[in-house]
Amino acid sequence: MQKINKNVVLALLSLTSLVFLLFQLYYYKFYLSQKNGAVFSKVRGSQSGQDSTRWHVVRKFLGLISSHNIPVYLIDPLILGLVDKDIEQIRTSPDAPSPECKYFCAPRDFTTFALLDKTWKHEVGLFRTAEKMGFQWLKIINKDPRLDGMDDLSGIEIPLHYIFKLASHAIHLVVFYERSGNYLWHGPLRLKHHMDRKFVPFRKLHFGRYPGAYEKPELLLVSIDDLKVQIPKNPSSFLEEMSYSRFLECRYREARAFFQLYPDDASLDAVEFRKKAKSLLHLAALTLNNLGVKFWLSSGTCLGWYRQCNIIPHSKDVDLGVFIRDYKADIIPAFQKAGLSLKHKFGKVEDSLELSFQGEDDVKLDIFFFYEEDDHIWNGGTQAKSGKKFKYFFPKFTLCWTEFVELKVHVPCETLQYVEANYGPDWKVPVKTWDWKSSPSNVQYNGVWPVNEWDDVIQIY
Amino acid sequence: MDEWKPNPAVKPHKKRSWYLAWKYKLMNQRALRKLCQTGAVLFLLVTVIVNIKLILDTRRAAYEEEEESAQDYDDEMLNVEVPRHPVSNKKVLDVEVYSSRSKVYVAVDGTTVLEDEAREQGRGIHVIVLNQATGHVMAKRVFDTYSPHEDEAMVLFLNMVARGRILIFTIKDEGSFHLKDTAKNVLKSLGSQVAPFLSWRDMWTFVGKKGGEVYGEKHAKSPALSTWGDPVLLKTEVHLTSVEDAECHWPDTELNRRRKRFCSKVEGYGSVCSCKDPTPIEFNPDPLKDNKVFDVPVAVIAGNRPNYLYRMLRSLLSAQGVNPQMITVFIDGYYEEPMDVVELFGLSGIQHTPISIKNARVSQHYKASLTATFNLFPDAKFAVVLEEDLDISVDFFSFLSQSIHLLEEDESLYCISAWNDQGYEHTAEDPSLLYRVETMPGLGWVLQKTLYKDELEPKWPTPEKLWDWDMWMRMPEQRKGRECIIPDISRSYHFGIVGLNMNGYFHEAYFKKHKFNTVPNVQLKNVESLRKDAYETEIHRLLGEAEVLDHSKNPCEDSFVPDTEGKVYVMFIRMEQEADFTTWTQLAKCLHIWDLDVRGNHKGLWRLFRKKNHFLVVGVPASPYSSKKPSSVTPIYMEPPAKEEGAVAVPAVAAAEQT
Repeated sequence: MQKINKNVVLALLSLTSLVFLLFQLYYYKFYLSQKNGAVFSKVRGSQSGQDSTRWHVVRKFLGLISSHNIPVYLIDPLILGLVDKDIEQIRTSPDAPSPECKYFCAPRDFTTFALLDKTWKHEVGLFRTAEKMGFQWLKIINKDPRLDGMDDLSGIEIPLHYIFKLASHAIHLVVFYERSGNYLWHGPLRLKHHMDRKFVPFRKLHFGRYPGAYEKPELLLVSIDDLKVQIPKNPSSFLEEMSYSRFLECRYREARAFFQLYPDDASLDAVEFRKKAKSLLHLAALTLNNLGVKFWLSSGTCLGWYRQCNIIPHSKDVDLGVFIRDYKADIIPAFQKAGLSLKHKFGKVEDSLELSFQGEDDVKLDIFFFYEEDDHIWNGGTQAKSGKKFKYFFPKFTLCWTEFVELKVHVPCETLQYVEANYGPDWKVPVKTWDWKSSPSNVQYNGVWPVNEWDDVIQIY
Repeated sequence: MDEWKPNPAVKPHKKRSWYLAWKYKLMNQRALRKLCQTGAVLFLLVTVIVNIKLILDTRRAAYEEEEESAQDYDDEMLNVEVPRHPVSNKKVLDVEVYSSRSKVYVAVDGTTVLEDEAREQGRGIHVIVLNQATGHVMAKRVFDTYSPHEDEAMVLFLNMVARGRILIFTIKDEGSFHLKDTAKNVLKSLGSQVAPFLSWRDMWTFVGKKGGEVYGEKHAKSPALSTWGDPVLLKTEVHLTSVEDAECHWPDTELNRRRKRFCSKVEGYGSVCSCKDPTPIEFNPDPLKDNKVFDVPVAVIAGNRPNYLYRMLRSLLSAQGVNPQMITVFIDGYYEEPMDVVELFGLSGIQHTPISIKNARVSQHYKASLTATFNLFPDAKFAVVLEEDLDISVDFFSFLSQSIHLLEEDESLYCISAWNDQGYEHTAEDPSLLYRVETMPGLGWVLQKTLYKDELEPKWPTPEKLWDWDMWMRMPEQRKGRECIIPDISRSYHFGIVGLNMNGYFHEAYFKKHKFNTVPNVQLKNVESLRKDAYETEIHRLLGEAEVLDHSKNPCEDSFVPDTEGKVYVMFIRMEQEADFTTWTQLAKCLHIWDLDVRGNHKGLWRLFRKKNHFLVVGVPASPYSSKKPSSVTPIYMEPPAKEEGAVAVPAVAAAEQT
């Protein structure tokens, strides 16, 4: 009896074990196909089969798009990083056959390409061909931000991303749009509810977590790993640009709500001021960009962007912020060359520097320099007649791109904190009388400049 | 052996007894066998446990992965999927049709698809077309057959409807007075028994399939001239056919897919939905050589006149040098049918929530459309602005391509327009001739981005101002002394007869006889002489060459201009100051050209053609060209008819025609 029992138990155990093993195998296979081998590719990454799969998928994709005359260019950070190391060689001998698959076989889940929207006609034929070639594809569409700022326009949704999947590799095609301000924009990747969340491991995509803004790149046709492909002419600067490309859309809906509460000033004076302020901002942006000085919208100009997506007509100047580490002595001569005379200079590079330039007809350009500390950032103010110093505190922030009066400019990504620090919790209410020494909620008295330094730190022209 | 329990869920305290058993068995004869057995059991157990663990792990990993990818990439807005109307499997539609003096309605399966009880409108025969497979309303029309010619329009419409469609007719108020026999016969051929005998103030409803069965008809005769027939209510059932039967079998191409989508939704577009010989929806006109406007965006401003839009887009897409990718149609309101038309042609369309009313609504729509155009095409320096009730000349883009550089280079210009306000059949002659005028004609024009962004957009009339955008643009504050370039023969034709400021009479009087260029590839002459200073030289040359007409004759008479061809004549009219248009208005009236406000002038000079001669009119002494007047000539003065004095306000209202 015992013996039988034992055998039965043994058999049962082996059976369960076998069933489990089979189940495991099945599950593994299922998981593989679902996840596109993402989880396990690291283990198998070194296998040559997997490597050549990537190359083949890229080759097929390039064939697909060239058969439809769609000009794409490579923006994959991983591959561009590899390419950048050999960029001289690739540039000089664009047609040299490559002995080994060095770039497109590198282990990764995706290869990312960019497409300029205006260079193709949204033909459906592309997708039909893609399907015939064995690609599965996914299209991510969303609202057109170029119409977002407008009252009550509803356009068709525009494609922002495409993903083409073949075997265990996927191509991520990012659609770039030209926007006012002469830059390229790509949208965020957001899945709608009915979409397949497991189509690819979306988290690993290099583009799409946030929208991004880029300069129009110069392209270079190269042959790498025997594939002809367009890449940004200077991959390293593209990669650099990519690392701080995050874009913030203006809060158009909130701005509309604001204007419902406080109707916009449409008087001739307001129109004129906005026009002047806009052209001053354009000029300032051009000058600083030429110098390579990073700047952002600060104070009232930043508030105008954040609150009403426009210049506040009763503000009397344009305010920009610059990190003191980006300060260059050329700034003053460059502005003077651009036709803006220095109005005053307060402080010194080591402390509380502030420059003020006179634009045409009373519009002033203020450049505040910001000093970074461990847990906060501050800029200084100086009262000319008394030599009093003031300090304005801000929580730490990073910079994002945005579009403002047809210009691509930086703003603090953490705009709300920035604006609140400056204007307090009631920043939504327009205030016409503003005293820079007492009104800001982040101002602190910071002593007096020593009298012997006055000639240097208080310069008025 | 006793202590060995065949329990897979072994409890830890049993371990010790296992060990004892093992020890005991080792000493035993069958120790080895037992050992192997136990080993196997252990191994299997471990396998099972490891397997379970692995499954759990991968599961969790997969789940986390999913969670992770979800959190960043989820659309922040909860996208509630609009539930699609379930394709009803019902094969029968209940149709209710009501006809009476003051109210008509049609209900399909309980849903009211037409209801009209408004006073003083909607008189005549209402026609509804249903898709015979889905029961969807494809077209709704009303033909006021109490008035003349409306029955012809109805016949035209009914002929365009595809065979097999379900037609529903109902009369409101009166529909027989101008219902001629042709129309009655068409209705009879549809199966109506009553139609041939329809008479004054009869009430009538009819439901039938085009080229097929009749589903019902009801009629109430009017007992006397002064009274109406009793209201009639027709309730009937319509049997639906299969979708395949309701569709044409065109070859499966991208174009035909668009066509199919369009034709299954709307009716009344004629041969575009013909099964046998559908009219093309892609035109591929010849490209222009050296096309300077290929990259200029084209904004088509539209309302809810889909048939107009259809006609307009056809002519636009047939114009040489057109670039469909640059065309955007802006629809004022959430109307489906205009959007269907836009999609039929594969263009992009944008809908605009109406803001404000009447003229202000149009004006807000213009603003939104222009802003959107420059947002969508940030590189563009210009935009072409068109309206849905314009035919576009075959050489429209060629005309713009040859002249657009002037707009950029000459600061004294602020638009190029395809429309000559004074270019009628009898007053326009030369397709290669351009003018400078102080009044912006609109109706197909080019706007410069800098003008819009820097000047117009910030000051654009706000919604509460009931202004016409074009009148506003003509105001001195906006125009700032700048001029527009126009052709002698218009490159657009205004065919709209229904509109905000438009009616049939008005169209007949002022638009029907407008000249429209049909010659392709016209080479414009002397484009450079359109520049500010060069144009003055040109005018002086013309005036120097011009023959002074006999000022003793009546300028309204045909004999005022000699029976010559190709000559240049000049006449002088009285014009006391810059804004004195008394004589001009009277002259314009008798010449049957635009007289509702002053158009087409350049420094007190008008240029047109009479009897194929170039005909110049100079206002003396306000015009700087007055010096060309021989001292012997007395400028002609024409007095306005006394009774019209009170009607001075009329032109200002009626002049707002361009909608």
